[in-house]
Amino acid sequence: MLYKVLKKGSYDLFLAKLIADFEFIGPVKKDKATHDFKKISDIRKLDVNYKRTTIAPAKKILYPSTETLLQYEINEDIEMSVDYEAGEKILFGIDACDVNGLNFLDRFFSDEMIDEPYFSKRRKLTVIGLDRMPSDTNFSLSLGKEYAKDGFDLFLTDLNNRYFVRVGSEKGNDILTKYADVSDAGEDDFKDYNKFMDTYRKSFKLKADINNLYDNYELIYNNKDFWNRVAKDCYSCGSCCLVCPTCFCFNVRDDMELNLKKGAKTREWDSCMIPEYGLVAGGHNFRPDKENRLKQRYRCKLKTFIDRFGTYSCVGCGRCIEACLAKINIAEDINAVKKEVSV
Amino acid sequence: MEKNIYIPDLAKIIRIDSVTANEKIFDIAFIDKEVQKSFNFKPGQFVELTVFGVGEAPFCVASNPRNNDKFQLCVRAVGSVSKALHNLKEGAKVGIRGPFGKGVFPYKEAEQHNVLVVAGGMGLVPLMSFLTYMMDLREQYKNVMIIYGAVNPANILYKNEISYWNSRDDISVCVTVDNPDDKWTGEIGVCTKLIPRVDFKPEDTYTIVCGPPVMYKYVVQELEKKNFKEDKIFLSLERRMECGVGKCNHCHIGEKLVCVDGPVFSLWELRNIKEAI
Ligand SMILES: Cc1cc2nc3c(=O)[nH]c(=O)nc-3n(C[C@H](O)[C@H](O)[C@H](O)COP(=O)(O)OP(=O)(O)OC[C@H]3O[C@@H](n4cnc5c(N)ncnc54)[C@H](O)[C@@H]3O)c2cc1C
Ligand code: SF4
Ligand code: SF4
Ligand code: FES
Repeated sequence: MLYKVLKKGSYDLFLAKLIADFEFIGPVKKDKATHDFKKISDIRKLDVNYKRTTIAPAKKILYPSTETLLQYEINEDIEMSVDYEAGEKILFGIDACDVNGLNFLDRFFSDEMIDEPYFSKRRKLTVIGLDRMPSDTNFSLSLGKEYAKDGFDLFLTDLNNRYFVRVGSEKGNDILTKYADVSDAGEDDFKDYNKFMDTYRKSFKLKADINNLYDNYELIYNNKDFWNRVAKDCYSCGSCCLVCPTCFCFNVRDDMELNLKKGAKTREWDSCMIPEYGLVAGGHNFRPDKENRLKQRYRCKLKTFIDRFGTYSCVGCGRCIEACLAKINIAEDINAVKKEVSV
Repeated sequence: MEKNIYIPDLAKIIRIDSVTANEKIFDIAFIDKEVQKSFNFKPGQFVELTVFGVGEAPFCVASNPRNNDKFQLCVRAVGSVSKALHNLKEGAKVGIRGPFGKGVFPYKEAEQHNVLVVAGGMGLVPLMSFLTYMMDLREQYKNVMIIYGAVNPANILYKNEISYWNSRDDISVCVTVDNPDDKWTGEIGVCTKLIPRVDFKPEDTYTIVCGPPVMYKYVVQELEKKNFKEDKIFLSLERRMECGVGKCNHCHIGEKLVCVDGPVFSLWELRNIKEAI
């Protein structure tokens, strides 16, 4: 890691140059309440001062909601081909817990077998992170995901009159050297960076006591009353999954064009919260009720990947809390498990 | 570059055999001879088969892993892909990905032990790779007993193989049906009924079970009554699969994925997984 400082006055110029030279994606105001990561060609559209989270998460750039895996043409022979869209892109203004979300997907999509549709885009994505104060529903601190150690090319922290820049890759360093006027970070810069990080960590309002959840979960798993209470209002709408930066489930389908010559395999995001998820032949459903589905979602977010990767797959971004019309709150439910077991 | 896990290899259906009203056996070989030669599967592994324009579904390889000039699937027509496959003719081309699954039948571990095989309905299909392999190397195993339950006599699969096993005196085979017809002279009732008759020593026996999801609980109960060991009981599980390669998550049970960690698990592995069986 290299540590640099970028003057406030040079920031706009730096971004303007990037916007001119690259496909540049950053947070844009969508409506009164929401922001979204969108392609930007005019720096005035960029708005990094979003209070809530962006909907949808930046994962859509690497893992779009619908994506062609394979095309084929049926003639005498069957010709197969792939065409994964992969231009160089810059993703700007993603916060620390979302970078950790990408880190999770990087790990997941390369675990055992490489997911080429994902990595064809990932390899060409430059990530420039930007620290920001936590939104009301963000509890990433409780999960140790409020700070991104890696997974970015550059990471900027606003220290009022200058940016503290962590350089995470050679690609990041090249961009910085070419497009920005920076100097090496010194003692004072580190001091102010520490001050910022302390204030930042103190600003988390929502907290989840995740200690012992790994074990407690097994006790609570069969407690029907508990899950009935927690999932009572769930509409099984699946929104919590659609907004999540680390949800990865998908369906695959084959489609043919009307001429019955050309076809394609397409994958589409799915959600473990909807009833069709566990359906198999003969109409048997492995997860027929919403209580069962919610506890499975929590298991996947908070336990499964402790076993597989040694980490949670939830980064505590709070999107699912914002998105849920039934006001189901994963952080509060983590606390509820603790309470149920302890008192 | 590493192989793209979503691109199937082209294969040709070289023979189709209608075995029951609803089930057909397909002999398949990859078009590319090199691919066929390197297609080395282990008993219990599955492939993802694409009927182009229709979709993809997982099927266990049902043939002897020691033959590598072609392989065999036995498919019941239940839905879009399986029905479309049934409509294909010999010579038609399909896509194959695989073989997949790290959890396979304990064909090595079971050597020098007794082997009890319990199959229900279509569950005999995945077991065929193991059974044909074992018959080839029969002297490597001690006593072998096969219990197979079908709904009615017309549903019995692999009739030729079963009568061949019956003709051998080093294997005992019990076939039972739920609904006998006039001509049926064999056992009647569910296959769990026959387990109490097994007189193998528990610590010296590997049990391999494959059948519809409802069957497992009852079979396990019977095996436990006889003190069979959890780490020597193996079950092949089925879940909905969309990718076969550990990415879509549809096949998860607890922390495990059926497509990557299975489809065959020991009962011991499943013990700590809620809702596995
Ligand atoms: C590891 C594994 C091995 C299998 N081996 C064999 C085999 O050797 N022979 C064989 O005939 N079948 C096998 N199956 C089941 C087979 O994959 C399904 O029957 C098939 O996916 C149905 O696809 P379809 O498109 O024909 O049906 P669809 O049109 O997808 O579905 C028709 C009906 O089948 C249900 N269904 C979908 N997926 C499954 C599933 N995985 N299991 C049961 N029902 C399902 C649907 O819910 C629906 O009710 C195996 C399944 C798995 C997971
Ligand atoms: S938890 Fe909320 S967002 Fe998720 S499925 Fe239920 S109602 Fe929808
Ligand atoms: S589960 Fe909720 S809080 Fe956790 S990463 Fe997903 S959307 Fe964010
Ligand atoms: S079938 Fe997709 S993860 Fe197992």
